[in-house]
Amino acid sequence: MAQISLPKNSEVNKGKYFKDKTGSKNIRKINVYRWDPSTEENPRIDTYEVDMDNCPSKVLDILNKIKNEIDPTLAYRRSCAHGVCGSCAMNMGGKNGLACTKPHSEIDGDIDIYPLPHLKVKRDLIGDLDGLYKQYESIEPWLKNNSTKETTEIFQSKEDRAKLDGAYECIMCACCSTSCPSYWWNGDKYLGPAVLLQAYRWIVDSRDDERKARLKKVADELKLYRCHTILNCTSACPKGLNPAKAIAEIKKMLATANV
Amino acid sequence: MEDKKPLSPHIQIYRWHISSLVSISHRITGIINIIGITLICFLSCWLILGETNYTLINFFFNSFFGKFIVLGLVWSFSFQILSEIRHLIMDMGYGFELQTTRLTGLIVIFGSFLFTVAIYLIGRNFF
Repeated sequence: MAQISLPKNSEVNKGKYFKDKTGSKNIRKINVYRWDPSTEENPRIDTYEVDMDNCPSKVLDILNKIKNEIDPTLAYRRSCAHGVCGSCAMNMGGKNGLACTKPHSEIDGDIDIYPLPHLKVKRDLIGDLDGLYKQYESIEPWLKNNSTKETTEIFQSKEDRAKLDGAYECIMCACCSTSCPSYWWNGDKYLGPAVLLQAYRWIVDSRDDERKARLKKVADELKLYRCHTILNCTSACPKGLNPAKAIAEIKKMLATANV
Repeated sequence: MEDKKPLSPHIQIYRWHISSLVSISHRITGIINIIGITLICFLSCWLILGETNYTLINFFFNSFFGKFIVLGLVWSFSFQILSEIRHLIMDMGYGFELQTTRLTGLIVIFGSFLFTVAIYLIGRNFF
């Protein structure tokens, strides 16, 4: 059963307030979720006043500014800063996305920054994605081909290759899975949009020989059919992909094919 | 160490959009409809038992509260039917583009109210 409210140790309190020291006239308030594993305290929301006159356009730039100039204790994941690595996935203004590609001008008023929803928090904006990676492993995301030797090239027509468009671009940032209410309530069993999109990617790959076995594997009341087309995943995807459609395609294959 | 890790906020902070609203409303109206159908069955059974029951039920449905229940059920059924059609189209693999889902969602929401008004007017012999 879905637990709507947060557990006692996860309730968020009001935290510190960092007043602007630059004297800038263009100030924005940034509310950031903080949790320090070395203390016994509950998570808190710290508010930072940030000088927007000297800040580049993305949310990640704000976080870098806070870390470099205001509060070095802030922890968050980031790496490429170009929307390719998927490290800086977080919840900004109530919606999941990559901090490095999300312009702060798209968010009205104060900017609320939280870790990806419904994850165990390791520290501040860093969520624990181990469960998701385990599920990713369970769909065996690698090519399985029995007919050819390892040294020969496996040919693929342009049409078959085109089927992978919209699926292979996924960077596994987990924005979609952690935006999905079904995944919140059944994350231990339901595979979630990110993993199902990858399952789809291997099911439709013409070079793969295990199509039927793959389909059979995901054909499960909990693993697949917990998708109720809420479409939070598609609206969250920072790469503009459509996990909801991929899940629908898997359902369609299962309904029409004799597996 | 493991146990004290807090759970990050989810439904408390996630922003609603048309599709998620239609989805949750689909569930709620589904539950209301089940209760509604049961109620209608009981009332029909009750009617068979005598004329005094008829006047009582008639009186109830002409009260403000009764009218509210009837109109509420009409809306709930309208919403469920339109949303179900949307689901069927999606099950066939169509209408997953963000703009389309927004549009079909809005059609479901406004359509349900339109249906309610239309059915109310038909019931009152307006046409």
